[in-house]
Amino acid sequence: MAAGFLEFMLRRVAGFAGVLLVLALMIFVLARVVPGDPARIALGPTASAEQVEQLRDEMGLDDPLPMQFVDFLGGAIRGDFGNSLISGQPVAQEIAALLPATLELVLVTLVIMLTLGVPLGVLAARYRNSAFDAVLRIVSLVGVTMPSFLFAILLQLGAAYWLTDWPILGRLSRDFAGFEGPTGLLVLDGVLTGRFDIAADALRHLAFPAIALAMSGIGQIMRITRSAMIEHRRRDHVQTLRSFGVPARVVTFRYLLKLSAIAPLTIMGLEFASLIGNAFVVEMVFSWGGFASAGLEAILQKDLNTVMAVVLVSGGFFVVANLVIDVVIGLIDPRIRIKESR
Amino acid sequence: MAAIVEEQVEILSARRMAWLRFRANPVAVIGALMVATVVLAAIFAPLIAPFPDHAGAVIDFRNKHAAPDGTYLLGADKVGRDVLSRVIYGFRVSLLLVGGVLAIAVPLGGILGLLAGYFTGWVETLITGFTNVMLAIPPLVMALAVGNVLTPSLTNAMIAIALLWWTWHARLVYRVAKSVAAEDYVEAARLAGASHLHVLCREILPNCIAVISVKTTLDAAFIILFGATLSFLGLGVQPPTPDLGTMVADGRQFLPEHWWGVLAPGFAIFFATLGFNLLGDGLRDMFDVEV
Repeated sequence: MAAGFLEFMLRRVAGFAGVLLVLALMIFVLARVVPGDPARIALGPTASAEQVEQLRDEMGLDDPLPMQFVDFLGGAIRGDFGNSLISGQPVAQEIAALLPATLELVLVTLVIMLTLGVPLGVLAARYRNSAFDAVLRIVSLVGVTMPSFLFAILLQLGAAYWLTDWPILGRLSRDFAGFEGPTGLLVLDGVLTGRFDIAADALRHLAFPAIALAMSGIGQIMRITRSAMIEHRRRDHVQTLRSFGVPARVVTFRYLLKLSAIAPLTIMGLEFASLIGNAFVVEMVFSWGGFASAGLEAILQKDLNTVMAVVLVSGGFFVVANLVIDVVIGLIDPRIRIKESR
Repeated sequence: MAAIVEEQVEILSARRMAWLRFRANPVAVIGALMVATVVLAAIFAPLIAPFPDHAGAVIDFRNKHAAPDGTYLLGADKVGRDVLSRVIYGFRVSLLLVGGVLAIAVPLGGILGLLAGYFTGWVETLITGFTNVMLAIPPLVMALAVGNVLTPSLTNAMIAIALLWWTWHARLVYRVAKSVAAEDYVEAARLAGASHLHVLCREILPNCIAVISVKTTLDAAFIILFGATLSFLGLGVQPPTPDLGTMVADGRQFLPEHWWGVLAPGFAIFFATLGFNLLGDGLRDMFDVEV
């Protein structure tokens, strides 16, 4: 069994490494066909032709393309993406400084998605075709179809008119400016350093962006959980449990939910791609100053080195999230890891 | 009496049954009406819009940020243009984008899906492998990168989105084609000497039409959403063309006082995506397919 699980994981890792490789190739090709010389972008219009030529040489832009790609890939594996064409600072450092802000936002979003989406889905299945179920259907439909920027703006507008104390921009109040903790995740840092006022303030700032980001996912997870619960309820072994007189509560949470968790988890893995995309939007609306905001800025300024790094790191985010989800699913459901390892 | 009822049931064609099922579904009908509203508004924009010239680069500072009233039903924007007129023209841009993306993505994804589902061996491995890799790429991030490399414009937004969108169609058509290809009548057609092309186009493709049309309708919703997000971030249609996402981004600077400049285009996007989504759900129930 252990060997089967190992093989299952190895296959997954290999598959995801392939994904990242193709992604790297695509973004590299894309960056190299761009009209406009990266060295010229870095130095600005006033630089002389010799200066540009010198920088081209330093950046290896005159090498054959396959060699450039190998260099790029080697650097990416070591975490070296070259220097930003705009600020001149190493891209990896800039991204590393901004990553915690995004990571914190995404983690809180995931917690909200799961803690709301799954129980609501269970309830919707339990009270199927009731008024409650109908309301939840509408909520999930709104979540899926409403643009996340509109939802974010509505939250801000609501706060501006009715909840004037609530923070709607940034990660911390001005009173705590300059606070730095060991992890960069402000809520965690606040708790670790015993500054619970900071942790609470950071949580208040997190609430709106995270809710705006979670909306579409909550809807999806709710819908999938509901249909999975309904489907599994009809299965023989569940019927057997019920006929033995096992209480409905135990059947639901101990047996049904475990089975039904697989579908929403899988969806969450796929949803993660759009979650990263929406993070760009939500971070912009709430001036979050994270990795996604920086990526957007880099894209608008044609800072190619940063763009390449942002795309690859986003892909990495997606891949790691799916890997984690695969492990969890494999642990929940042995049938899957046995089937996959064959 | 019973005999008569039975006879009537027999007369109903499959298409008529589907139509009845559709009509009996209030959600689908509402969706269809919403979609019809958007499409008609887009087509007849010059006739419906109160100020058709406000879709262009008109400047009227006297009415800058005019609040919604009798003249400007949804208020005016930062240079005094009627927001309602611009929203109506904005539907045009959204639908053009949808049309453009689907015109590229559906045939491309459909053909690749058909080929992968029908042929086994390396064709299948190659296409499904490539599709899976493409599906793992965060679409918005990639579209932003592509949209940046190409200069932001409607055509380039279409290309950027279509380059990612075909994958979903490929996967879906692959799934259906693969199961249809195993049917006896496909085998029979092959044994009767039908060419690969004939089998693909006449035996397998017709079975995929229902799935493709449901998926395409649902897609319209998400392409509108996706396109609006791109232009909200500044990488879509450029001014003065009225684009709903751009209008939201522009109006955002004047919140919270001049909320109409943001909420009108914002809810217009929501209206369109909701309509296509409801219609797509209705069609799914009608054709009884899984998308």
